[in-house]
Amino acid sequence: MPASDIPAPAIELSQVVKTFKSAAGEFTVLKGVNLVLLEHEFVSIVGKSGSGKSTLLNMITGIDHPTSGEVCVGGTEIYRLNESQRALWRGRTVGIVFQFFQLLPMLTLLENTMLPMDYCQVYAPGERPKRAQDLLALVGLQDQAHKLPAAVSTGQQQSAAIARALATDPPIIVADEPTGNLDSRSADVIIQLFDQLAGQGKTIAMVTHDASLTERTRRNIIIVDGELVDETVGRALPLLNDRQMLQVTRLIQRQTFQPGAAILSEGQAVDTFYMIDSGQVEIVLKARRGGELVVARLGPGEFFGEVELVYGGDSVASARAGANGPAILATLSHRAFLQLLSDSPLTGDAIGKIVQARLAENRAADRRRR
Amino acid sequence: MLAMRPRWRKVLADLWENKARSLLVIVSIAVGVFSVGMIAGAYVIISHDMGASYASANPANIEMRTAPFSDELLAALEQVEGVEAAEGRCFTSVRVRTGPDSWTSLNLVSVADYRESQINLLVPLEGAAEPGRREVLLERNGLEKIGAAVGDVLEFELPDGTVRSMPVTGIVLDQSSNAGDFLASPLAYVSFDTLVWLHQPETYNRLYVTVSSDSNDEAYIRQVADAVNDRLERSRCQVYRTHVNKTNEHPLQSTVQAILGVLGALGVLIVLLSSSLIANTLSALLSQHQRHIGVMKLVGGRTFQIFGMYIVLILVYGMIALLIAIPLGGQAAYALAQLIADQMNFNLLGYRIVPLAFLIQTVIALGVPLASGFVPVNNGSRATVLQAVSGYNPGAVQSGWIDRLTSQAAERLTWISRPLLIALRNTFRRKGRLALTLFTLTMGGAIFVAVFNVRSALNNYLDSIGHYFLADVALNFDRPYRRNEIEDVALRIPGVEAIEGWTYASAEVLRPDDTVEVNLQILAPPAGSTLVSPNLLSGRWIEPGDEKVITVSEGMLEHYPDLQPGDTLRLKIAGQEDEWTVVGLFKFVGVQGLVGYASYETISDLLTQPNQAFTYRIVTDQHNYAYQDQMAATIDRHFRDLGYHVSLAEAGSDSLDTAAESLDILITFLLIMALLTATVGSMGLAGTMSMNVLDRTREIGVMRSIGAVDWVVMRTVIIEGLIIGLLSWFMGCIVAVPITSLLSAIIGQTVFATPLDFTYTVTGVAIWLGLVLVLSALASVLPARNAARLTIREVLAYE
Amino acid sequence: MPLSAPATQPLIALRDVVKVYATPAGDFPALKGITAEVYPGEFVGIIGKSGAGKSTLLNMITGVDHLTAGEVVVRGPGDQQPVSIHQLGENALAHWRGRNLGVIYQSFQLLPMLNLVDNITLPMDFCGLYRPFGSRGRALELLRLVDLEGHAHKLPAYISGGQQQRVAIARALANDPPILIADEPTGSLDSLTAETIFELFEKLVGQGKTIVMVTHDNSLAPRFTRRLYIADGALVEAESYASQ
Repeated sequence: MPASDIPAPAIELSQVVKTFKSAAGEFTVLKGVNLVLLEHEFVSIVGKSGSGKSTLLNMITGIDHPTSGEVCVGGTEIYRLNESQRALWRGRTVGIVFQFFQLLPMLTLLENTMLPMDYCQVYAPGERPKRAQDLLALVGLQDQAHKLPAAVSTGQQQSAAIARALATDPPIIVADEPTGNLDSRSADVIIQLFDQLAGQGKTIAMVTHDASLTERTRRNIIIVDGELVDETVGRALPLLNDRQMLQVTRLIQRQTFQPGAAILSEGQAVDTFYMIDSGQVEIVLKARRGGELVVARLGPGEFFGEVELVYGGDSVASARAGANGPAILATLSHRAFLQLLSDSPLTGDAIGKIVQARLAENRAADRRRR
Repeated sequence: MLAMRPRWRKVLADLWENKARSLLVIVSIAVGVFSVGMIAGAYVIISHDMGASYASANPANIEMRTAPFSDELLAALEQVEGVEAAEGRCFTSVRVRTGPDSWTSLNLVSVADYRESQINLLVPLEGAAEPGRREVLLERNGLEKIGAAVGDVLEFELPDGTVRSMPVTGIVLDQSSNAGDFLASPLAYVSFDTLVWLHQPETYNRLYVTVSSDSNDEAYIRQVADAVNDRLERSRCQVYRTHVNKTNEHPLQSTVQAILGVLGALGVLIVLLSSSLIANTLSALLSQHQRHIGVMKLVGGRTFQIFGMYIVLILVYGMIALLIAIPLGGQAAYALAQLIADQMNFNLLGYRIVPLAFLIQTVIALGVPLASGFVPVNNGSRATVLQAVSGYNPGAVQSGWIDRLTSQAAERLTWISRPLLIALRNTFRRKGRLALTLFTLTMGGAIFVAVFNVRSALNNYLDSIGHYFLADVALNFDRPYRRNEIEDVALRIPGVEAIEGWTYASAEVLRPDDTVEVNLQILAPPAGSTLVSPNLLSGRWIEPGDEKVITVSEGMLEHYPDLQPGDTLRLKIAGQEDEWTVVGLFKFVGVQGLVGYASYETISDLLTQPNQAFTYRIVTDQHNYAYQDQMAATIDRHFRDLGYHVSLAEAGSDSLDTAAESLDILITFLLIMALLTATVGSMGLAGTMSMNVLDRTREIGVMRSIGAVDWVVMRTVIIEGLIIGLLSWFMGCIVAVPITSLLSAIIGQTVFATPLDFTYTVTGVAIWLGLVLVLSALASVLPARNAARLTIREVLAYE
Repeated sequence: MPLSAPATQPLIALRDVVKVYATPAGDFPALKGITAEVYPGEFVGIIGKSGAGKSTLLNMITGVDHLTAGEVVVRGPGDQQPVSIHQLGENALAHWRGRNLGVIYQSFQLLPMLNLVDNITLPMDFCGLYRPFGSRGRALELLRLVDLEGHAHKLPAYISGGQQQRVAIARALANDPPILIADEPTGSLDSLTAETIFELFEKLVGQGKTIVMVTHDNSLAPRFTRRLYIADGALVEAESYASQ
């Protein structure tokens, strides 16, 4: 994680609850979501259909009202605005890209791209065609500018929709399954475009249910049945299914260790599974002559302590927070960890392999230290 | 109920689920069914009752205005071949007081024996059936003008200036005596023995004859009339005017039927317009039901089963509309017939259901929706499962010429903002729907504009008739006075600027065999009179020095189709036959009979009344109606005070006003029909706009998501409505041209027996522009508000 | 199971099925020659990402969409001869489908203006199996099967999504078809509800129905009796799918 200058939060959700009332009764889609997205982040939000991910997105764009909780986007408490003010705010602050493109079919791609500038009264009227043309060129559609949406391919429609989303130069881009209706090649083009935009400083939140897209974003938020999975859990244990991730999220505890502080000492009894949220953890073996040997430096998303929990016995090495900064760890109790392994054979297998690898490493290190 | 098939339950639910739409369809069917039912019903009732009621009074087949004649001559006339019965009556022109200082002229009719009367029967409506000595009965038509009721005592001023009071003892209906003459004075009836008291001789001056055999054969009636005429002349009794009538046909029957025909045509048009409304609504319904249809097909429904469901739905709409429209139409038909009966002074035979109207309504209520719904239902029931279940259906827009045009324009004219462009292109997106909407609104507008044009044409026509009545006051005496004497007296009255003495004569136009072709009223203003401004069709007007020269109204062409200026007619005036040269033909009110103009000098010589005149035309220093009326009263009093025998002094435009009043009723009816079509048109527009908004729900959500605020969304919808309104206005103004000429021709022909000049006035165009803009704004505001209310979540999260 | 499984004749056979969509940007092949068979009593999962062509494939089996080339042959228990779906007209297809296939969609597709019993009775009405009281009785029985007998007279809007999907399943079973086709039936449901639906399917398979289900959720894979992986319009091996 870039730590040099700390970016400001672009989007903050605190305790957001959304309950739909229908004839069939109440249904809570978001169950108290807390989320902070920083400026210039490219974040994917993943979840199955019905998990509440589109509702979460609607909270960020001001398309829907939270039942309770607050949403602050770019410093604006957006639910203090009325519907009409919010439309204007949204047009200037958030560019939205939909799964089904949602270009207006009676306007050409160029006109579609100009429309947000007209609605939001940004850029001088004489400047708008030029800017729209430039944006279309950016997404590779300079030659299709005067075609109607129905006359171009779906991939091109989505590119045009992105150009439109950029029209008012909003700091935030929100995309709802932008590749959901595209073949894999077109999807690729769209994701590259997002990458490029993120590089230029936009904050991008993209909802998807395609796990393969999440590898390309710098941050990945998993939503399950209206609750967010702890990001550390999602990264450390990706093979858990949704419900298991959520379960783990509820069981973990966080501990912060100052630079250099000891987390485990060699030979100590281990009854906790550690996942690294941020910072660095050094795994250290005692060397001869009282020296020490750093066998591994673990970063965010990695974990330790599993070897002892699986095989029993005391800690085979010491662990301490790295010297560069404090380490924040998410911890899981011994019992919960074992339960997890039995619930998720896939995770069990994967951890088993990692344990074997680490044991092998330790043996190699042992040889070195002797 | 438990056993009702689910598919019929769906039909029922469709009917109930969207009440606004169901109501729109039902009302649009009902409006057409109602108006056609009303007019068809009235047509049938009037065709039958007008004739029957008229015949029930045993109307005279021949009516003659004559010099006084006696009972002996009457007895002799009954012996003339072809005469079934003859009856004499005495008409006396008097004035009746209607206020402290106002009088109105009235004809006192004395009937020898009310019980024995055979012709032009009176129907007692209230009070006594016959007047006692020094009592009077009023005819229903005059009630309003006189403002009297049974029991009132009225003051009558006799031709010699004597005032007599008589109580009104009854009200009667006389369907035949003034039938068809809007300009006639009201009638009142007295007994014969009252005549002496009224300073009148106990003789007849009006002859009524019924013929013995075919009383509906006009040629035969004329033949008998000629025989009666001969007999009268042999007894040296002069006939001033002859009128023939069929027994079973009210003189205005054809006029009334023609006007009902025009209204009927408008009714059919409304049906047509409402059918396009139905087609629009149903095709919207079917496209909204595309998913339902797909699901039904998914679970095994076949096209014909689904087609059947929607056809039944349409029939149910029709049945409900019928249930509403039949009783309403029946009531309105009778009310309309009653209104016309009151105007035309005849009685209806009682309320009834007209089976023909019932039948027509049923056919229209079921047939029209079926016909207009067939195509949308047929297309809609072909919707496939795939269309229904594939979520994304991108309302594809073909790039039409409109879009190319606007996008080219947009490139050049950057001021066309995208929001305006959206409204413009949206307008032309559903071309079928637009065409139907435009059709209804255009027709509504065209009729609206045309009605104003016809009204203006009628007014122009009356104006041009007015050119024959330019004087501010008409002053008639019941005996001729010397002209310079009257002029001297008149010019001393303050306010009188000029006066002309006119005379008149009745002439008979003779055939080569000396029988009478037609009677002609000849008016004789002094040559060079400034008080006639004729509307000449051909030839010239009377000039000073003309002798034995006349101009005749175009009605003469009916008798002599080839008549040209320069031709001669043989006329018999005051017993003298002579060849007269026709120098000009002019336009005049056809129904008012034939009129000719000759010079005062010629006619007064013929009548051996040189330098004398019965009638004077006076010009006052102001020309508005109130002033004219007041001056008429002043002049009247002045001359009476000096002992002159004034029979009538009236404002010059009095008679025209009466004519205009009767036309106003017609115009009102036409306007009502025009407003009905406009209503159907704007209903169509409102329906179209809400369908458009419904269709574009998602697009509206998108617009909001990229920054469109409420009023921007509303503006887009309203501008679209206004564009449609303006287009329809423009097209309506064009379509109004043929409709105007058609309406002018029909109405002119039926009312004045002459086609009206084509007139196109901006009044209707301007009013309709305002109205259509208001209507289209109103028609789109509600859909626009609904559009603005949609939140994006509802719109985009529909799946 | 009426016949001993895979050795018997296939219930559904697809041979070289090709589907090409004409788009403004040129022809787009959604299916590139699919050959597959489904045998009686199987619970087949068609697994693929969005855009892979799995729904298109399903539409070929139900006859909802027309194929460009190849053939789809289905042999219902009542059919003497196998029926070539792609050769049937729209109406014949609707009638055949009503009796032989129950189709379930992600978005339930109940008619909103009919109550649950009427929704379930509708297929019997359309397919001529309707007897006023008998079919109602059957509809109620099916509602009991999906545990919704208490809601028989409610409109779809008055029950939850999961309940609506159960009604859709009951409706699919109305004419007692041998085959159920389900397109992402759990796609709109939360994970717990989805589980109950899936269990209902397993129960139906246990009762002898053949079910073909499309899903993008690979975690369901172990629970099918057989899996077909589809990617970019072609069937692929499980391993190559997982490695994507």
